[in-house]
Amino acid sequence: MKISTKARLATGTGLTSIMLIAGMIWWANNEVEDANGQRRQTIELARGLTELRLVTFEYMLNRQERARQQERNVSEHLDRLIAANPFSKPEQSEVVLRLRQRSATTHRIFEELASAPAANDANAAEKESIQRFEAQLSSRLLILQQESLADAFRLGDFSTERINAAQQRVVLVIAAGLVLIAMTTGGGAWLINRDVLAPIGRLELATREVAAGNWNYKLATLSHDEIGELSRTFDAMTHSLQTSFAQIERSNQELAALNQEVEAFSYSVSHDLRGPLRSMDGFSLALLEDYGDKLDDEARDSLQRIRAASQRMGRLIDDLLRLSRVTRIELSLKPVNLSEMVREIAESLDQQQPERAVQWVIEDGLMVHADKALLQIAMQNLLENACKFAGKTDKPVIRVGVAERNGVKEHFVADNGVGFDMAYADRLFGAFQRLHHESEFSGTGIGLAIVQRIIRRHGGAIRAEAKPGQGAAFFFHLKEQARD
Amino acid sequence: MASGTDTRRVRVVAVAVALAIAVALALGFASRAWFMGKPAAPMEKLRIALPGLPHAALLHIAAAKGYFAEEGLDVSITITTHGRAAMDLMDQGKVELVAAAEVPFVISVVKGEPLAIVATLVSVANATEIVARRDHAIAVPSDLRGKKVGVTFGTGGDYSTWAFLIRHRLAPESITLVDVAPGKMVGELLGGRVDAVSTWEPIKSDVQAALAGNALSFTEPDVYTGIFALIGRIETLKARAGATEKLVRALLKAEAFNRAEPQQALKLLAGQLKLDLKALEPGWSDFTFGVDLNQSLLITLEDETRWAMARGYVDEGPTPNFLSHLYLDALLAARPERVTVVR
Repeated sequence: MKISTKARLATGTGLTSIMLIAGMIWWANNEVEDANGQRRQTIELARGLTELRLVTFEYMLNRQERARQQERNVSEHLDRLIAANPFSKPEQSEVVLRLRQRSATTHRIFEELASAPAANDANAAEKESIQRFEAQLSSRLLILQQESLADAFRLGDFSTERINAAQQRVVLVIAAGLVLIAMTTGGGAWLINRDVLAPIGRLELATREVAAGNWNYKLATLSHDEIGELSRTFDAMTHSLQTSFAQIERSNQELAALNQEVEAFSYSVSHDLRGPLRSMDGFSLALLEDYGDKLDDEARDSLQRIRAASQRMGRLIDDLLRLSRVTRIELSLKPVNLSEMVREIAESLDQQQPERAVQWVIEDGLMVHADKALLQIAMQNLLENACKFAGKTDKPVIRVGVAERNGVKEHFVADNGVGFDMAYADRLFGAFQRLHHESEFSGTGIGLAIVQRIIRRHGGAIRAEAKPGQGAAFFFHLKEQARD
Repeated sequence: MASGTDTRRVRVVAVAVALAIAVALALGFASRAWFMGKPAAPMEKLRIALPGLPHAALLHIAAAKGYFAEEGLDVSITITTHGRAAMDLMDQGKVELVAAAEVPFVISVVKGEPLAIVATLVSVANATEIVARRDHAIAVPSDLRGKKVGVTFGTGGDYSTWAFLIRHRLAPESITLVDVAPGKMVGELLGGRVDAVSTWEPIKSDVQAALAGNALSFTEPDVYTGIFALIGRIETLKARAGATEKLVRALLKAEAFNRAEPQQALKLLAGQLKLDLKALEPGWSDFTFGVDLNQSLLITLEDETRWAMARGYVDEGPTPNFLSHLYLDALLAARPERVTVVR
């Protein structure tokens, strides 16, 4: 059964219970109102009967016409009350019928008593007869009025019983309704735990298992509710992901193999090309040295150009080999004192070209976790570049330090050299890409490509900020746990 | 498959909820019945004597419907010709309780017998009638003056005749009352040894049928309402208080049944009394059944005491305190609102 169906059932049960209780309260209210009306009528009746007794006794004692008139009024009032019979049940109707008959009899006897000749005016025999007659009627009046009063109270008891019965039923129905609601609530909580919370727990466990790489984990839920459907969708999703990852893995392996082949090929090609180039350069030199005096100027110039081109091609091949080596070398990560390394490289560069008079500003205590040899190559390239592009300024300054950007600490190498237009920044790290002509600044354009590859192999990233004529800065960061 | 299982589950839950609601409703509307438990006491034996009259209808109905057994009573009933005869059986110790009219009870109490009324069972508006012979020059009540009227002495018929005469301002001494047993009423009247008889159903109907067009009936419902009561000896009632209370409860059930199913009750009664249904029907509407103990009963008992003294059935003397001759406990325990006696 669907969770939504169960929820609708529980809600329906709860609402039905509440409606049942409300209906019972409404019914009881009507019952009580009706019974109260009956009770008021009964009280009025009992009051009338008491008044009737009073005026009857008054008349018997003093024979006052006033009492006789009052008896007539009260009798008529009682007849009206009895006629407005608010009772419908057989026993109550029987009592009301008795009251009606007794009321008529009582009034008739009273009138007979009032109309009887006075005993004082009769002879002895008649006097006794009249006295017996009056005594008999008086007794009958007493009896009848007493019985009517008892019946009036009995009607009052019926009303009270009716109110009590209504209250009793309401209490029972409310109790039963509350038990029903409690059972529904308890059952609902149990169902929510069984059908919602527990499956969600299993789903969460499955998510963690899959996140940990256990792609074979299956929920295999049998339930047919919404969470059952979700679990089956989850299983289908993990199955689909498992298939996709397997495909990616295969593609990666194929790609790695392809890369290896390409690198091997380029290394091989580079290595093999060096031999012919050396021959070209060597034989060109031999021609110049051995037959230079026999050649004209144009031929010598051509030979010089052949030599220059072959040498340049040799440098390009060396750079390609370096780039290839950087990619293939195995990382050995250790803490490296970057400040110390930069100082050593700077000292070396100063020794190579002391005429530049570069001002070095190097922060102390720069530490990174990296492969020292690769980092040495990267820093060598960055610092050589800085020297090269700042070398033509009057007061070259090269700064090395650390800065924070968007919560990430970045090391930087900055110079006050020629800089470059940021519009061409995307070409900076491409192999053999140059933003300046070789005649202006020497180099093959492989340096930054090597730097980026080293940084990437450490799981980091590198970027540049520059303006033409205002210098350039290269920011990089390494991950502690670099990729192999 | 899944949707089929779901449908079945929905149905099961819906049925369970419907059942729970039905139980709640049943609890609400049957609460009274729910609270009223049945006694689990062993059966008690009780012997009751009563006349074979419709006046004792509630006892006959209770026996026929098994209400005595329901209350844990094993009741044996002895039928007598009239209430006085039933009381004689109680005097002899042959029964514990009797159902009889209040008149023999009054006479017995005034004579000093320790009797008490447990409850009144019925009141009869036209309990007795005077059936006279037209051919004996009787046309109006005053014509009874100087005539012989047959009554069963010491019965409700006797008191009713007295009350009738007073109501018509006839001196009781001006009429000769002759003691006639109920079974001999028809013969005495047809034989001319009496000019009229004062009797009750079903003998009344027999007399009227025997005289045919010669019968003239006088009735005066305003003067006397016959009362039929359950009577016992005070010490017996106290000793058998539990049984008496159960008996009263059974009679209350019979009263409720008679009210709810009057025709069926009448058929049951006819069967118990071995009477034709048509013989019972004429006077049936005069009977008002109710297991009560009313204050007005005391007035009636005292009136009848004065009559019994005047008739010479008992010696002249102070009227007994009938309050001590009403056994209130049983009815107070069963239905206290039925006791209106001022205590």
